[in-house]
Amino acid sequence: MSRLHYSYHMQLSFESPVKEHYFKLRCFPSSDERQKISGEHIKIFPAHFSNSERDSFGNMCIYGTALQTHSRFSVDVSGTAEINALFNVKADTNRIPVFKYETKLTTAGANIRAFHRTFPPLSYMTFYERAVFMMERLFEEFYYMPGKTGVFTTAEEAFSLGCGVCQDYAQILLTLCRIDRIPCRYVTGMIPGEGATHAWTEIYSPESSEWIAIDPTHNRKCDGTYIKISSGRDSQDCAINQGVFTGGGRQSQEIKVIVAEAF
Amino acid sequence: MTLAEDELYKHSDSVNEQLARYGVKFGIYKNGVFHEQLFPFDVIPRVIEHDEFAYLERGLKQRVKALNEFITDIYSDKKIIKDGVIAEEFVYSGSGWLIQCDGVKPPKGIYAHISGIDLVQGKDGSWYVLEDNLRIPSGASYPMTARYICRNSFPAVFERYHIENNRNYAELLSNTMEYVNTGGRSVILTPGRYNAAYFEHSYFAEQTEAPLVAGNDLIVENEHLFFIDYSGKKERVGTVYRRISDEYLDPVNFNRESLIGVPHIFDIYKKGNVALVNAPGNGVADDKGIYYFVPAMVKYYLGEEPILQNAPTYLPFYEKDMKYVLENFDRLVIKDVAEAGGYGVVFASKLTGEKKSEFIAMLKAEPRRFIAQEVIDFLDIDIYEDGKPVPRKADLRAFVLMAEEPIVWKSGLTRFSRRVDSFIVNSSQGGGFKDTWVMAE
Repeated sequence: MSRLHYSYHMQLSFESPVKEHYFKLRCFPSSDERQKISGEHIKIFPAHFSNSERDSFGNMCIYGTALQTHSRFSVDVSGTAEINALFNVKADTNRIPVFKYETKLTTAGANIRAFHRTFPPLSYMTFYERAVFMMERLFEEFYYMPGKTGVFTTAEEAFSLGCGVCQDYAQILLTLCRIDRIPCRYVTGMIPGEGATHAWTEIYSPESSEWIAIDPTHNRKCDGTYIKISSGRDSQDCAINQGVFTGGGRQSQEIKVIVAEAF
Repeated sequence: MTLAEDELYKHSDSVNEQLARYGVKFGIYKNGVFHEQLFPFDVIPRVIEHDEFAYLERGLKQRVKALNEFITDIYSDKKIIKDGVIAEEFVYSGSGWLIQCDGVKPPKGIYAHISGIDLVQGKDGSWYVLEDNLRIPSGASYPMTARYICRNSFPAVFERYHIENNRNYAELLSNTMEYVNTGGRSVILTPGRYNAAYFEHSYFAEQTEAPLVAGNDLIVENEHLFFIDYSGKKERVGTVYRRISDEYLDPVNFNRESLIGVPHIFDIYKKGNVALVNAPGNGVADDKGIYYFVPAMVKYYLGEEPILQNAPTYLPFYEKDMKYVLENFDRLVIKDVAEAGGYGVVFASKLTGEKKSEFIAMLKAEPRRFIAQEVIDFLDIDIYEDGKPVPRKADLRAFVLMAEEPIVWKSGLTRFSRRVDSFIVNSSQGGGFKDTWVMAE
């Protein structure tokens, strides 16, 4: 069991002021079988109205409106997570099939299919073992390099480039699993250190009706240092911020995540 | 029954002229350019006898009930999949399934408020359902307007025959909107005048006295929806009859590029604070692949034998059906499940040589993408052209409105192909329309 303190900071800066800003944020870790969140503190500024809801994946969302003119919009979330890596998240079996099918971002093209064909057939392996096998193969084939891919880069595009970031690792692995019709999902979260959010995957285990978390960027099973924020079919489902506003010109986004052991 | 043909023919031009003046038009995009076209009207009505319509009515109510049950099930327990009646591939990889709607209950449990069911009548007189249009079916405004003009142009004909009045559509629509209303006004949300059916949006607003609004006339504040009128007055809204597709409805929940939607409308809809007519996500039931399963749905949910039949359909996804399709390829019509409006329809007999083998290769590679149907030889009905009646193919879009119970509008949109031997009747492909007379006795 580990105890981690986390803080997430996001700020949007607009070149010229905006108004009628409607936002929907998905950056709030929730408690589940694996992690227990306490001492949560949330600050969203500016916000005239805000409310919360759970999306269809069970992710906590806060949505609201900032009507008046502003040049900056910021979100700060902090709290403590107690994580027990011996436990996995229980799966709602009714919702499992959704995660078997490809989405726009996780559609296998010629290159991913060709890569998948180099693997031996699925037999004698559990879904989890198969996913780990593919993760290892992907780790040999794909390189970590920031700046080459973007938020809307598909798994096939990233794989064809041969390099990318955590989002790309996760989505390529999901695409490979979905060729085998293995239910799997995309996870956004935080890991120790200072930087941005991280992304990894969860593989469905029919033996235990659980989601087992693995991190293809680091080629390992997720341990007690992984704080989960949200999950979905792909990165789009886990979008941290979906907003619209009037005016603004160019905007820049600053994200700072700090996770450290809590004593 | 013999109609007073001469009297009708005499008014053909003047009725069309008046329809043009009323603005009975629809828009189409061709090569990225927007054109508005008149919708050609034919004065010879399609006549459906009382008993025959009563049969259609029973079948349509049953079908829409089953479709509504299906959508409810798919977004909650998914029993029909677990029981193996429908293959999950057709649900989860279809374009109509919206993950955002999973677990959401619409007001009064209605998903299909206004359904447009397309039927054709075969040469042997039997009716077949060709398509269920549940998302935003349009077309009722055309026969409504045409009836109004025809009654004024040749009132004597309407005195002679006992025809069901079709002018109650606006009342049915108002009832449907009111039944699910969560408190406040009912409004009609249009994407704007460059939409194909803008005439219809404005006509319904006029007829139902519901304000016609654009996305920026509506605002979500503190979990409720408000309409701000031209004078700045703010009023609560309880029902939105939205003529904007799911994808563009709400930029913070669906396509973020949408400028015509209302931010957060979906969030408050989920909480039961506004009714959306038709309900988001209901397109899961009007997918061409799902169509195949509708007769099975009727049995599954209602425990009844389906009254209306589908056109004989095959899913190449199933091996047995694929075999049949390949063996009988030349006499089938193949439809791409992702296309609508008469696009993506291939009559296999018209394919030759390379085109044919290419198409078969595509069918084998992506079997989920297609359905195959027997070509139904529709009953021809007469249209008036160059001073005489000539036979043309026609279909019928029947409208079913759901409130406490489904109600079938006693009329419909009869569309016909203006080209000899063409089976494609869609208005976007140059087809015309007729009034549909349902006899009162």
